[in-house]
Amino acid sequence: MEEASLSLSLSTTTNTNTNDLIANYYLQQWRLKSKSAAAKFESMGFPEPQFLTQIDEDEEDDKEELPSELDTLNSSGGFSIVGPDKLSVRYPSVNHHGHDVGVVQANRPAPSKRLVYYFEMYVENAGAKGQVAIGFTTPGFRLRRQPGWELNSYGYHGDDGLLYRGQAKGETFGPVYSTGDTVGGGINYASQELFFTKNGAVVGAVFKDVKGPLFPTVAVHSQHEVVNVNFGKKPFVFDLKAYEAQERAKQNSTIEKLSIPQNASYGIVRSYLQHYGYEDTLKTFDVESRSTLPPISFVQENGFTEDMNTYSLNQRKVLRQLIRSGQIGDAIGKLKDWFPQIVQDGASAICFLLHCQNFIELVRDCAALLAYELPQKSSVGYLLGDSQREIIADAVNAMVLSTNPSVKDSRECLHSRLDRLLRQLSACFLEKRSLNGDQGEGFHLHRILNSGRKG
Amino acid sequence: MRTQGFQSAPLTPRQHPWATSKKLIGRNEWEKRLNDVNIRKEDTNRLVMNFLVTEGYVEAAEKFRMESGTDPDIDLATILDRMAVKKAVQSGNVEEAIEKVNDLNPEILDTNPQLSFHLQQQRLIELIRNGKIEEALEFAQEELAPRGEENQAFLEDLEKTVALLAFEDVSKCPVGDLLDVSQRLKTASEINAAILTSQSHEKDPKLPSLLKMLIWAQNQLDEKAFYPRITNLSTASLENPAV
Repeated sequence: MEEASLSLSLSTTTNTNTNDLIANYYLQQWRLKSKSAAAKFESMGFPEPQFLTQIDEDEEDDKEELPSELDTLNSSGGFSIVGPDKLSVRYPSVNHHGHDVGVVQANRPAPSKRLVYYFEMYVENAGAKGQVAIGFTTPGFRLRRQPGWELNSYGYHGDDGLLYRGQAKGETFGPVYSTGDTVGGGINYASQELFFTKNGAVVGAVFKDVKGPLFPTVAVHSQHEVVNVNFGKKPFVFDLKAYEAQERAKQNSTIEKLSIPQNASYGIVRSYLQHYGYEDTLKTFDVESRSTLPPISFVQENGFTEDMNTYSLNQRKVLRQLIRSGQIGDAIGKLKDWFPQIVQDGASAICFLLHCQNFIELVRDCAALLAYELPQKSSVGYLLGDSQREIIADAVNAMVLSTNPSVKDSRECLHSRLDRLLRQLSACFLEKRSLNGDQGEGFHLHRILNSGRKG
Repeated sequence: MRTQGFQSAPLTPRQHPWATSKKLIGRNEWEKRLNDVNIRKEDTNRLVMNFLVTEGYVEAAEKFRMESGTDPDIDLATILDRMAVKKAVQSGNVEEAIEKVNDLNPEILDTNPQLSFHLQQQRLIELIRNGKIEEALEFAQEELAPRGEENQAFLEDLEKTVALLAFEDVSKCPVGDLLDVSQRLKTASEINAAILTSQSHEKDPKLPSLLKMLIWAQNQLDEKAFYPRITNLSTASLENPAV
């Protein structure tokens, strides 16, 4: 024991910078969590602690603005009149030629960071000639021409059921539609297709060659025509969720066919338990694995790694338990006994973190004494979420791992193998999407965890 | 030592750097991006718990609940029942397994004719394995033949199984692997999945799918860019881009 601490203190000086790296990483996490939690907490009206987990869920979504109503800034110069709710259009006069179409775009282009975008149009009145249309057009589209008649635009026309994409001649596509029908237009970013529906059923799809932003577009062209648009405020006639599920299932079935080494998951789970110091679980897991069939023949990739991950396993377990139950003072005490080099510099990031959390725990005790009904309702309630303690526990865990003399780069102590794999997965998805013109879904672990839950 | 986790994608002519205009993302840039990804501890805990629960590590799941505060998304008690059924099949006690699964939920076998048949088939295999030839023949005739009549696939499986009886030396029998313990494991897996499904739980853990997703995502990105890859899932170590 004596010898070990001597060599540890020698390596401390060289390790200080990298140890700060670990502590600073968690400090950043802790700060971010506090800030966003506090803001959301207040806006939610100081919810009960069990709702604190919901605070994180919104952060994931790729924030994109959605089309919400029809645009009234660019107009087709009197050939269309948008209703006061900005969700309906009518043709005011009598048409004479092909350049007096009343075309209206949505106020924003279709969002692209998702699997599918979709909107619907209800034909309230097909008027004299039923020359209504639904489609997609680019910014700067000449709003007096039917969508599809000009380059880089697409239109599914009600009077002939044809699809127009970039020229005056249409292609056979779907059925005609008229008064009382609901048609929909959608963009499938996975298959890079535009698809259209009539009364809830897909009528056809075409390849999307336009790569830039596309505006949902509707058009009217003969006397008395009126159409209403739905950008999602009301339920769609088409079962969009089922369509999305189908797309995802297609992708998933391709993925499921790939093969991975046997027991890869087993190894990753085991490594996870070791990394974070879940000693009891690990021991039980090992016992239970011995009696499974088929027998798990797990070859340690690297004996060195095994050693690193079981380093001070018991001590890390104890420290985590103390921190999770709020006994920060005790945790600091144990650290002073076992790994003094971690806490010897009172000004270090890790000490700051520990003392902050300690302070919070004390405040909570005081609040209880001062007879707040429930301490969580006080304004520091947001800090009492378990996730704050979890960050501290993980930080301490990483710091202890980094004191292992066999560790070459303390960055290895930051993330478990599972963590690194998931990060790689996410980074690949993001880059793929970016190279694809920012179109398509990102990787959302939370969503995947919540999917497939039935009842 | 043969490494288990080795996966490699041989360079195709298309991938040779001088033949394409693929984007190159260097190590430092990529590591920065990896660091920016937000992976929550709660979510990775849930993934691990999902693995423990679906694969039936009941006690480990209970300990993990205590040590990490993660909620198992299934009642742990139901896992014990399921594991008992699975173990019974794995040990060759098919009758016991059938009894237990019916206690758990009689609908499982009712709504699953294929599983039901495979269990009976396993019973036949066990009878043959234990040398109870007469009993085996009787069983095959009374219980399995009628089912074979209903369904062509069942009939084929039945014929294969009965073929075991024709060979004195089973090692010479082309379907000798039916006597292998792996056949028990197959059936055990099937019944495990059926129980999970009946409990409205997904029958597979999510972790393996995510690993496959990683391979898929990297394969897709390979078409357009050079970047640090993870080829060895067991070490999860980054390899510098080929260029």
